[in-house]
Amino acid sequence: MISQASSTGLKSGIASATPALEMVGVTVSYDAAPVLWDASLTLYPSRLMAVVGPNGAGKSTLLKAALGMLPRLAGRVRIFGKDPSEDPSRVAYVPQRTSVDWDFPATVLDVVLMGTYGRLGWLRRPGKRERADAMEALGQVEMEAFAKRQIGELSGGQQQRVFLARALVQNADLFLMDEPFAGVDAVTERAIVGLLKSQRDRGKAILVVHHDLATVPEYFDEVTLLSRKVVASGPVETTFTRDAIELAYGGTVSGAAFAGR
Amino acid sequence: MSPLALASQTLFVFDSTLFTVAAGATLIGATSGALGCFAYLRRQALVGDVISHAALLGVVGAFILSWLVTGEGSKSLFVLVPGAVIAGTAALLLARTIGERTRIKEDASLGVMLAIFFGGGLALLRWVQRGKPSISGRAGLDDYIFGMAAAMTRDDLVMIAALSAASIAAMIAFWKEFQLYTFDAGFARSLGLGARWIDTLMLALLVIGIVIGLQAVGVVLMIALLVTPASAARQWTSRLSTMVFLSALFGGFSGLTGALVSATELRVPTGPVVVLIATAIFIVSVLFAPRRGVIAKARAQRRARAEVAAAGDHSMGGVR
Repeated sequence: MISQASSTGLKSGIASATPALEMVGVTVSYDAAPVLWDASLTLYPSRLMAVVGPNGAGKSTLLKAALGMLPRLAGRVRIFGKDPSEDPSRVAYVPQRTSVDWDFPATVLDVVLMGTYGRLGWLRRPGKRERADAMEALGQVEMEAFAKRQIGELSGGQQQRVFLARALVQNADLFLMDEPFAGVDAVTERAIVGLLKSQRDRGKAILVVHHDLATVPEYFDEVTLLSRKVVASGPVETTFTRDAIELAYGGTVSGAAFAGR
Repeated sequence: MSPLALASQTLFVFDSTLFTVAAGATLIGATSGALGCFAYLRRQALVGDVISHAALLGVVGAFILSWLVTGEGSKSLFVLVPGAVIAGTAALLLARTIGERTRIKEDASLGVMLAIFFGGGLALLRWVQRGKPSISGRAGLDDYIFGMAAAMTRDDLVMIAALSAASIAAMIAFWKEFQLYTFDAGFARSLGLGARWIDTLMLALLVIGIVIGLQAVGVVLMIALLVTPASAARQWTSRLSTMVFLSALFGGFSGLTGALVSATELRVPTGPVVVLIATAIFIVSVLFAPRRGVIAKARAQRRARAEVAAAGDHSMGGVR
């Protein structure tokens, strides 16, 4: 099973020279000062990339710009070679867990079903097939038993698993995830990392806004260091250097976060 | 009440004027109760309040326009509702534009727009009521402040019924989109489902849900009929569909009884009576709802405390 998955991942990795996500010189500003300045990065299929940087570095903005949700002052975004608005079905967006009201009257299954709404289009309701897909996705995050549960009763880690299941059911090729490990228990963090790695091995490209420098080398293949500008972007081995990190964080990185490098 | 009076009043219900008022008020309450759930869940109570207050300027403006055109001011909903829609929407769009273009916070710009449009509406209304050219048909226009369900005509009922049916039908048709956008607008945008259209449609329905109730409930208190039944319904259920249904039920009941009390017994403005009834339902819901109710929560907490205490005693006993 695992070897089969990784071999298909390898195949698609070689076959597609088209990047899953390509951002070139993207500049975004809400007011006068740009929150994201001349940002460029390239993410290929079968790669797992972290976006790290200090608070206010524009990490969430980078994700939203990649989705085409924000007006760009300059720059170009391509998802599998196309404009982001052209084929949204290839992208699964996982917003910050805290961006929604979990007291909303809905069950876990209701929320996961929302992942099928894009393919259903306007007016059509989710049916048996969508429900089966949603249950399968819940199984992947080990939450089937919670399908009928109110979302207000979930812990932070369970909420994040539900969001991940909603993204899985979209069956997309590019995942854009905003702080999926924030406020999540250690067991859930490990489970999510395992799941992301297996998705990567199936040929998916995954971009994760991350806040823990210490786990970057363990979890990710590639890293983008952001501080309004892209300080460095590329494979973790060559990119995640002390110099680059200090450049991004303004020399405030403690040695502990960076032990062993 | 004597049996004779009760009987005569029961017969009175079949009086066609009273039937119009009762049916209209029920429809208004049910529609705003249902649509109000989405406003409640999206935390748009203030938005709704701005729309309803600002609508007064549109109501009076439309009345004046009809007088200028025909020589007689019209109080038909067919004339006044379009005015209310235009003014309410204009106030909201202005507030949003200010919020986006400047550093002024959105709630502040909403408050400013409410004050400007409502103040303008009141000033214009006073001029219409007391002004030198005596505008025919002006009597009763000030009922729009606190509402007078008894003023409803057959034509008004037709308009209310049509708009209620259309907005409820739209809500059911776009149920999935409304649910998605209300829960997670950012995710909805990422699906490329035309989130802007969903937002616009929800706003349009909110405006309709408000303006159809202005005559009966009044601009000042309309927000209560929008948000109070929804808050009460949320106490009893954790399913969106049940919540919308219950809220429509609560709103319809409040509208009906409020209109009847106001029209038959006291001849007081309808708005305050409707709000009092809706509030009574709300208080009962907050206190007595299972799980979410104040009493149920206190009881659960007491039980948990007792269990912890018992477990503590037990383990201590076990050690000894």
